[in-house]
Amino acid sequence: MAVNSERQNGTLIARVDGRVDGSNAREFQTALESSIDSGDRIVVLDLEQLSYISSAGLRVILMVAKTLQRQGAKFAVCSLSTSIREVFEISGFDRIISVNASQEEAISAFKDS
Amino acid sequence: MKSLSGEKPYKILVVDDEVDLEPLMLQRMRRKIRSGMYSFVFAHNGVEALAKLSEDDEIDMVLSDINMPQMDGLTLLDQIPKVDPNIRSVIISAYGDMKNIRTAMNRGAFDFVTKPLDFEDLQVTIDRTLRHLVEWREALSSRDKLVALQNELDVASQMQRSILPTLFPRGDGFDIFGDMEPARNVGGDFFDVLRLEGGKVGLAVADVSDKGVPAALFMMSSRTLLKGSAIGNLEPGRVLTEVNDLLIEDNEASMFVTLLYAVYDSATRQLTYANGGHNTPVVFHADGTTTMLPLTGGIALGVAPEMQFEQKTVTITPGDTVVFYTDGVTEAMDASYEEFGNDRLLNIFKGGSFPDSAAEVNREVFDAVHDFVGDTPQSDDITCLTLFTK
Repeated sequence: MAVNSERQNGTLIARVDGRVDGSNAREFQTALESSIDSGDRIVVLDLEQLSYISSAGLRVILMVAKTLQRQGAKFAVCSLSTSIREVFEISGFDRIISVNASQEEAISAFKDS
Repeated sequence: MKSLSGEKPYKILVVDDEVDLEPLMLQRMRRKIRSGMYSFVFAHNGVEALAKLSEDDEIDMVLSDINMPQMDGLTLLDQIPKVDPNIRSVIISAYGDMKNIRTAMNRGAFDFVTKPLDFEDLQVTIDRTLRHLVEWREALSSRDKLVALQNELDVASQMQRSILPTLFPRGDGFDIFGDMEPARNVGGDFFDVLRLEGGKVGLAVADVSDKGVPAALFMMSSRTLLKGSAIGNLEPGRVLTEVNDLLIEDNEASMFVTLLYAVYDSATRQLTYANGGHNTPVVFHADGTTTMLPLTGGIALGVAPEMQFEQKTVTITPGDTVVFYTDGVTEAMDASYEEFGNDRLLNIFKGGSFPDSAAEVNREVFDAVHDFVGDTPQSDDITCLTLFTK
């Protein structure tokens, strides 16, 4: 599991590679939280290279989404593979977290709103 | 460990201001008393109960009413840990009184039973509480020998095991069996089977998002809130709304639980269910076809407040079997990271004869998963709960 991030025009894009499960969820949390600054207004989590996520990993995404919401920042995920999309759909997380086909779609959805 | 081995019986302190309860309890529990499993002492209010607890250090558990003169049961709950933090308490509450049940759980009650007392249910509850107590004591005694983290996970997994039912209701034309295979140190599955009014049965299967003691406590409170809500309410959708709202209070750690809850009425053969973000159960039909129960939407519990949960009702044809499970089944992986998946689950009984009991269906699901994963270490709890009908 690895998290890499970059800033593009005021948007933080974070990419997750590999598997996130109970054994490395804490590591994932630390990596994700440390890549986000309190000044970030838009955060997009790109899940294209995420091969597996357990509920412990979903919880980390939920915590980050809640923290950003409290700070008035926007958060979305994008580029989910079929199996990861299923996890979001079954758990109902797609109803409270913005799920997008691509980074561009996620960013433009925020710019329009 | 006490009991059956010629050692001392478990001592249970019963606290109730109704004097009729004492002879009734001694009469209804006479077999357990005669066989040396339980012994009882009685008190009639919280003050008396505390006095008994201070002078008798052999009391293992407290069974207490809530409304009593001088000191009520909720106040007593606050005081018990000061006498002995390892005593477990069970509260007797009015039917559907979620407010008091919730307060009692917050103050450390292990479980509750409702009035009028069903002595069969009471015995199951007492046995479960005592089993929990034994495991808790074993965990405490081994604590010093282990590193802190390992121990914490052991305590958590013992708490997890202690809330699972081991006796399953069976009725005219149906039986039920459930089992959970814990992964080493991770996972947070549980299931429950509830006897509801009018012979209906509640079936729940759930997966908590984290591991360790905080997650185990969250699991115990999910299970208890579900039981409390389900007993007063036969609408699964409303039960999930209530449990969700209760879980969301003080959920700083953003824990959540996916939970599928269904009520089966064997008289009408109707299964009504609602889903909080959990995998959809599979139905193995009498005619050999297999389907997943229709989706109802619904988000995991503990995530967002004031959620509505759609519920659906399906009619179960004689010979249909419904299998509830957690993602530990469908996401079990073999050495090449391939998942067991829905298709393998749906086709488990293809080409063979269908088992003739819930326990056998359950076992075959576990066997199929074991065969698939081979020697690959189990990465998540595997839970399967079967409603078998004929």
